[in-house]
Amino acid sequence: MAIQRRRFLQAAGVGAILGLSGCTGDSSPPQAGEGETTASGGTSGGATQELTLATTTSTYDTGLLDAINPVFEEKFDARVKTIPQGTGAAIETARNGDADVILVHARGAEDEFLEEGYGVNRRDVMFNDFVVVGPADDPAGINGMSSATDAFAAISDAESTFVSRGDDSGTNKKELLIWDAAGVSPAGKWYREIGKGMGDTLVQADQSGAYTLSDRGTYLATKDNVDLEIHVQGPLKDGPTILKNPYGVIPVNPAKYPDVNYPLAMAYAGFLTSPEGQEIISDYTANGSQLFFPNALSESPQFDQYVPEDYDGGNTSASVSDPQFEQWVSENVPEDF
Amino acid sequence: MLGLGDLNLTYLVSITFVSLYVSTLAVLFSAAIGLPTALAVGFRDFRGKSIVTSVISTGMGFPSVVVGLVVLLLLSRSGPFGEFELLFTPEAMILSQTVLALPVLVSVSLSAIQSVPQDLRDAAFATGATPADVGLLVIREARYGIVTALLAAYGRAISEVGSVLIVGGNIVFSDSTSFTRTLTTAITVEARKGNIETGIALGVILLALVLSVNALGARFRDRTPGGERQ
Amino acid sequence: MTDSNRVVGHESVGESASVETRLTARGLTHGFGDGAILEDISITVEPGEILAVVGPSGTGKTTLFRLLALFEQPDSGTVEVGGEDVWAMPDEQRLAVRRRIGMGFQTRSLFSTTVADNVAYGLRVRQSWRTRLRDAVEDAFGQTEPSPTVERALETVGMSDKIDRDARSLSAGEAQRVAIARALAPDPDVLLLDEPTSNLDPRNTAAIESAMREARDRGIAVALATHDMQQAQRVSDRTAVLLDSTCIESGPTDRVFETPSDDRVRRFIEGKLVY
Ligand SMILES: Nc1ncnc2c1ncn2[C@@H]1O[C@H](COP(=O)(O)OP(=O)(O)OP(=O)(O)O)[C@@H](O)[C@H]1O
Ligand SMILES: [Mg+2]
Repeated sequence: MAIQRRRFLQAAGVGAILGLSGCTGDSSPPQAGEGETTASGGTSGGATQELTLATTTSTYDTGLLDAINPVFEEKFDARVKTIPQGTGAAIETARNGDADVILVHARGAEDEFLEEGYGVNRRDVMFNDFVVVGPADDPAGINGMSSATDAFAAISDAESTFVSRGDDSGTNKKELLIWDAAGVSPAGKWYREIGKGMGDTLVQADQSGAYTLSDRGTYLATKDNVDLEIHVQGPLKDGPTILKNPYGVIPVNPAKYPDVNYPLAMAYAGFLTSPEGQEIISDYTANGSQLFFPNALSESPQFDQYVPEDYDGGNTSASVSDPQFEQWVSENVPEDF
Repeated sequence: MLGLGDLNLTYLVSITFVSLYVSTLAVLFSAAIGLPTALAVGFRDFRGKSIVTSVISTGMGFPSVVVGLVVLLLLSRSGPFGEFELLFTPEAMILSQTVLALPVLVSVSLSAIQSVPQDLRDAAFATGATPADVGLLVIREARYGIVTALLAAYGRAISEVGSVLIVGGNIVFSDSTSFTRTLTTAITVEARKGNIETGIALGVILLALVLSVNALGARFRDRTPGGERQ
Repeated sequence: MTDSNRVVGHESVGESASVETRLTARGLTHGFGDGAILEDISITVEPGEILAVVGPSGTGKTTLFRLLALFEQPDSGTVEVGGEDVWAMPDEQRLAVRRRIGMGFQTRSLFSTTVADNVAYGLRVRQSWRTRLRDAVEDAFGQTEPSPTVERALETVGMSDKIDRDARSLSAGEAQRVAIARALAPDPDVLLLDEPTSNLDPRNTAAIESAMREARDRGIAVALATHDMQQAQRVSDRTAVLLDSTCIESGPTDRVFETPSDDRVRRFIEGKLVY
């Protein structure tokens, strides 16, 4: 019964796609169906495999993924279903097993995701930085400050309007981290949480003469539409390190969700961190500026990308007992081994 | 032209198609469920009938985002119907749109159906109609109001953004064909990017679409029975 | 009177001529919650006769006719068609019996469509869903000729020239005549007419009365509810008088009008009984 129902719905889905391609006249291959499965396995039943990528709006709205994904699709005979969300929502989607891989920028939340066992094999992919932007007349007088926390404190003191994403995105998480570091808990009429994407937020900040924290990429892509100026630069232009904005790719753990397309997710992570993927990232520009800086390739080891940020590395040296490993052995290795 | 920026024709046509496809199927499904419901509620007296009708009209104002979240919970791989792998598909959008369109369709058609005089139902019965025949006749007699109900439901479905964004995932493939992106969710993308003009241009397309659907419906609705045959 | 001289309805799914078609009510008692509207009423309508049911307004003529048309089950008593208790039958058989009864209503009851469609309604619902679907599709794409049955039924009430009109545009009298044609089209064995001519002009009244006679002459059992004494005298073969919730007198119309056995009946006939 359940199987039949699923078939039916699949058929309906195929109908939608076929109708669609018939309508638009493009020659893309039909995606779901009863065709043969490629050697690399996975759960989707067609010749072309599908990868569900939950990602932040910044990678999507800047157009970076439009440059990367077609190359990946070509190479791996795959179709990428990109779901642009805030980082928090993207991680939540993956936590529910509804995505195969995530590309996000909130190291603290990523670590938590990994520690809970939902993700495996995290890799650094690229970074750019955040900038503090605001109206040209700079009512809080923060222009040129070299410290983001000082700038935030000044905005709070002057009670200049500040627009916050307020959507649990990577940018929002970073903003809260800066308020925290500045020792301010922002409150009052001047501080507005708006629960919107980065572009919306920039537009709203522009309209209400407010400051906001933006990733450089979206700011550059949106610059033509708004009159906001950068008052505090990020580390890409000698700004404070706290404004660094690193992106990571994390496949969803197939031990938690056996139905995820883990091989393809690993292929995606591999592609992003490959010389080819990294080159696409470094070649990608908007309004004449490079938006993201690839940092996956390095001749020296970069262990910090595999472990939580605050990991002390202390308690699993070879001489100390490892209860987790011992438990694993007792559960999984036969007595008579 | 039109300030559509770098949006290509394939993209425009396919998001429009997804909008139409999802809303049309959603309205058809809600009509299949809603009209018999309206008939049953309209002509049967039972305890708690007034509660049922007020629940239905409350449903008209139900926030679409909440519907989206509930459908998300149900269809997620970690949810009860996860095995069907329906999340982030047009089918999931059809489901949430059906839920949203249903109360609109039922309450508007309910009042149309209730205004069909008892005398006509009696006449049908006395002319040999079965209960199913009487139901069909009532739908025919109330067709003006029912088409209005269908149009209202269609308007609710096609202009809705909250739930389709959540359960559809706003997916476009890299060849610019839409999988789960609709005109409305495309507008949110443009708004997020600060491309207000492009967003408005998409809004104009949406409006034109709703207008043509309404014009079609109104044409059908206003055909007089005398002119309908011969 | 036999079925052999019937002309209407080779198309209809009517019953064969051999079936006995007498409609009998025995000991009908019915009410709507507070007290009985009808009490212990027994009447019979024979094939090929017109029975007039007369009585002042509010005595329950409509209620009685609705029971005879099988709208609802009486609180007690039986309705029999051809000697069989209708409410003891399984639903399907009762539907078949119900389809041998046609009814005309006191109020305007035409559907919002053409005259032809209205009259064809009874024929249509008797067809299989497949046929109906096919007809609907044919209807939607091109012209369909009205069936001869529909034309003949309209002829009976003198409304042939209005066959293509929107029923909503008809006058009250015309609408009533079309409604009777609709009841006649499926070739019923029993025709119940509930005050078909109240508020109508003499010309429409005459048309309806002649349709009634024609139906009787074809062997249909006709029952007519009316409070018009002259009409009862004019058209009916037998008369039943309803007063104070019950049938106080019934018999051949001439006898009832000339020598009523009940004094109230005499005063009612003479128009002296005021309610
Ligand atoms: N559905 C109903 N519920 C309650 N009372 C009803 C209902 N139908 C009829 N009655 C009552 O039953 C009584 C008989 O009504 P009925 O319509 O049968 O009278 P009638 O003889 O047809 O009158 P008229 O000549 O005015 O048509 C009236 O008092 C009416 O109010
Ligand atoms: Mg009456």
